[in-house]
Amino acid sequence: MREELSALREEALRDIAAAADLTALERVRVACTGRSGRLTQAGERMRHLPKEERPETGKLLHALRGEITGALDARLSELRAAAEEAEMSAVDPTLPGTASVAGAMHPLQQLQKQAVEIFRRMGFALAEGPDIETEWHCFDALNTPPDHPARNEQDTFYLPDGRLLRTHTSTVQIRTMETQAPPVRIIAPGAAYRRDEVDATHLAQFTQMEGLYVDEDVTLGDLKGTLEYFFRELFGPDTKVRFRPHFFPFTEPSYELDVRAAALGGGERWLELAGCGMVDPAVFERVSERRGDDAYDPRRVRGFAFGFGLERLAMILFGVPDIRMFVENDQRFLSQFVR
Amino acid sequence: MKVSLEWLGEFVNLPGSADALAEILTNGGTEVIGREGRGEIPDKVVVAQILSSEPHPNADRLSVCSVDDGSGSPRQIVCGAKNYKVGDKVPLALPGAVLGVDFKIKSGKLRGVVSDGMMCSAKELALAEDAAGLLILSPDAPVGSPVGKLFPPDTVLELEVTPNRPDLLSLRGVAREVSALTQTEFLAPALPEPPTTPAGDRVRLSDLGCPFYTARVIRGVRIAPSPSWLATRLTAAGLRPINNVVDVTNYVLLETGQPLHAFDLAKLDGDIAVRAAREGEQLRTLDGGNLVLRAHDLVIADQSKAVALAGVMGGVETAVTETTVDLLLESAWFEPSGIRKTAREFGLQTDSSYRFERRVDPSGTLAASARAVELILQIAGGTADELTLVAGSPPDDTREVSLDGNNCRNLLGLAVSDDEIAAILRRLGLEFSGAGRWRTPSYRPDLTREADLIEEVIRVAGIHRVPSRLRAFPSASSLADRRHDRAEILRERLRAQGFSEARTSHFVSADSLSRAGVNGADATAIRNPLGAEQALLRPDLRAGLFAALANNLRRGAASVRLFEIGRVFSAGGERTALGIIVTGSVAATWKGALDKSDFHDLKGVVEAVFGKMTFSSTPDAGLSGRLENSLASGVLHRLPREQAAYFDAKAPVFYAEISVDRWLEAKAEAVRVAPLPKFPPVERDLAAILPKTVRYAEVEKWLRKADVPHLQNIFLKDVFSDESGEKLDAVLRSLTITLTFRDEARTLTADEVDRALETLRDRMKAELGAVFRQ
Repeated sequence: MREELSALREEALRDIAAAADLTALERVRVACTGRSGRLTQAGERMRHLPKEERPETGKLLHALRGEITGALDARLSELRAAAEEAEMSAVDPTLPGTASVAGAMHPLQQLQKQAVEIFRRMGFALAEGPDIETEWHCFDALNTPPDHPARNEQDTFYLPDGRLLRTHTSTVQIRTMETQAPPVRIIAPGAAYRRDEVDATHLAQFTQMEGLYVDEDVTLGDLKGTLEYFFRELFGPDTKVRFRPHFFPFTEPSYELDVRAAALGGGERWLELAGCGMVDPAVFERVSERRGDDAYDPRRVRGFAFGFGLERLAMILFGVPDIRMFVENDQRFLSQFVR
Repeated sequence: MKVSLEWLGEFVNLPGSADALAEILTNGGTEVIGREGRGEIPDKVVVAQILSSEPHPNADRLSVCSVDDGSGSPRQIVCGAKNYKVGDKVPLALPGAVLGVDFKIKSGKLRGVVSDGMMCSAKELALAEDAAGLLILSPDAPVGSPVGKLFPPDTVLELEVTPNRPDLLSLRGVAREVSALTQTEFLAPALPEPPTTPAGDRVRLSDLGCPFYTARVIRGVRIAPSPSWLATRLTAAGLRPINNVVDVTNYVLLETGQPLHAFDLAKLDGDIAVRAAREGEQLRTLDGGNLVLRAHDLVIADQSKAVALAGVMGGVETAVTETTVDLLLESAWFEPSGIRKTAREFGLQTDSSYRFERRVDPSGTLAASARAVELILQIAGGTADELTLVAGSPPDDTREVSLDGNNCRNLLGLAVSDDEIAAILRRLGLEFSGAGRWRTPSYRPDLTREADLIEEVIRVAGIHRVPSRLRAFPSASSLADRRHDRAEILRERLRAQGFSEARTSHFVSADSLSRAGVNGADATAIRNPLGAEQALLRPDLRAGLFAALANNLRRGAASVRLFEIGRVFSAGGERTALGIIVTGSVAATWKGALDKSDFHDLKGVVEAVFGKMTFSSTPDAGLSGRLENSLASGVLHRLPREQAAYFDAKAPVFYAEISVDRWLEAKAEAVRVAPLPKFPPVERDLAAILPKTVRYAEVEKWLRKADVPHLQNIFLKDVFSDESGEKLDAVLRSLTITLTFRDEARTLTADEVDRALETLRDRMKAELGAVFRQ
């Protein structure tokens, strides 16, 4: 029996080592340790041995089973590892990924969203107003003289009923103050319209972002701080902001705002990006007349307002050479804004 | 407003450089938008007089001139210009002169004729951008002397004067501003006012548009070209010299801001009347126009006719010409609004109307007249009447305005002292009249309220001194906030489906609407559109997105997937719409191209964005119908082939447009988590063969109503049909529907599910005519 087991051992270990794949190994396993395998049969035959030989042979048999099982397991993990390696090396990992491609948000929308987020961080809420406006909301309430050139048919689009397409989003200042008592802190992105011939830098319809802050103790210092923060957030901490005195009917004092930043290219060039100022008391007076109360009495409240064009900002920021690209909707243009 | 620094320096000590001055003006609210330098005129460019001019023997366009260059012997020059006459003095570049960077003048032959130098235009000497012909010099220019002596180097700044600052439309006004901003002395003495006498009948004012008119008679003038200094300064300011008298009126306009007009006295028929024009009255103006006037236009008239459009432009009949001897010099004050209206109606913006429109200083009318008379007598000779005729009286443009230092400090957020405020206002010409009140100067009509004075304080003090303050207070979110955020959700969902966002014009044309199949009859029209292409406001997004589709296809795009969220306009008002357009196949990968886009892809996109929607259509509507759920509704269709072809689409085009305002304004529903099922589901496929005419929606609706025990979910797994009829009769199709059964309280047995399914099959056979394969 001892010799027999020894031969069995040798043969089994040889077969295990020779098994080239998982199927061959399984065959070896069945032949050795399966229900009718040789090891199992050897166990059966042990019963015919003399009683005194059985314990020792039993021990041998047990040890042999352990050894063969161990060899099978070791060979199994060797073959599995080899198979996995073969499977993986069959795949070319440099082939492109196959996930579906997301679309792009319009660059003006991306910029608008970014701007909204920055102002929200300062506690501004959004506001809206109609594109089709009354002359009162667009001009009278904003202290524009009755014969001001901006009211011309050459400059402003009118509807047959006398209403007009707002020439600026400043109308939303008025719409908001009509219905909401101070304090007011709003931003209003939206379309504005001017009768400009369309060319590389002009569209007859463009996008503005308006801002208004009215409270009892608003100062020119708040205007400075707010817009400086905004442009630094937008263009980076190296951004320089310059306020240049100007004239608008609806603010006094009024400023044009110039910005210089590495993000805007050049770095040495001041770029005029916004108009702003302290709300003219005449605007509060118009609003008060309309409301019929003293919530906006210019002796009680003060405020600042600002506005800027998103197209111009986006052109500079993204290096867009022609403003018309924003409305041509060429997918080759838009897809550059996937992010 | 173009400002010559050589001229400006007469009235104020200028800072060291033009850059420094530009910065001072810009920081003071007047932007410098242009700058022209006039450098040294090159050597060897001298004053020459043209002695004769003959046609060139070999070239029609050239002449051969003999000129006196001061050397004593005549010099022959070939010349291409036409604007001179014999006797004129012109700049002559002698051989050896270098014009521009490296244009060296040499003796040579032009078409076979010797030319010994070159006569120059203003452009060739970098004196002006206008190159039309030779620069004709003043007759007083000494022959042979360097032209550089006539044109010393100068810098001209172009100022953008804001509409509230008419006082900056003159050299004296700009100088006064510079002196206030730089705290230096204003060197220009006040101009004296001349003695006056009431005009009586000689000037009659009958219109509110002219409250004040002055006239002075000058006799015996000699009309001639202006002297060089005068012509040079006018040229620097962008005006063309005409003759000495007209040039003086323009010169004084530039110096003082007061427009003047000189009439040829001999051509006036009697006394002056400033009156409203007669309806239809005609006036031939200096620019060659023939105006038909209306009753709201203001004219200067004599006894028989209108002779000038008041404050805008003179008439040609009474203009000063070479033969004029006696003058009537007008200096008047006109109401801005009337001038603005008239100038705009006739499209005549003149240096005069530009200033009157913005309000001329009414206290300067007489002084400007006297200044012009002084110059005319000096340059053109003659004698002036001792007294200036005056009619009416000028308005008082000074005002008392109060200013509380605390209001100033509170608005600015700057601790500026009362003393500094007072010093600034004094420098700007305001006078303290006690008790916090200030009297404004007549040339600053823009200062009427406390806010105007505060603006002056910070304009001079400088906003750089105001400390920036950054405070943030929370605001309650608004409806607009919700609309914005919900629109962003729509955008993100569409982006995830591979759609890019378009922005198309709010303006459309009737044509583009009809091409897109939109009824444009009720579209909102613009009264004064830029053109037919932009005559209407879009009633929906179709026209714009179809044009975007065509743009992309024509540029070779294989597929188009675009959406737009934007405002659309109708008689009912403005609303927000979402348009989605798709054509072509979805981007292919190396695993194989995905299907070409079809109707159900777009339907799926819309449902991925808005949730399940019901589709309804009329039987003859083809692939066109309405989509609707509780928050959104709209249309979904496949473009008719002919329409798609118009937009260059080769594959079918699908379009959906949804009204989204309700969805945008809805509060997001709070999620309430349902308990997770404790027992496993049992799934069974049901392969029902039905006539194609039975729509899936009917089948699903039938199943839901069939009251099958434990049926929890219905999922359409496969649709099979065979046009050839080989595998399945062509009028039939097979719908494979996966049914999910579940009980919340126990595990269902296969047996009971199969029994339920068997019952269901029998009912479908009976009620729907379905067939089931074994």
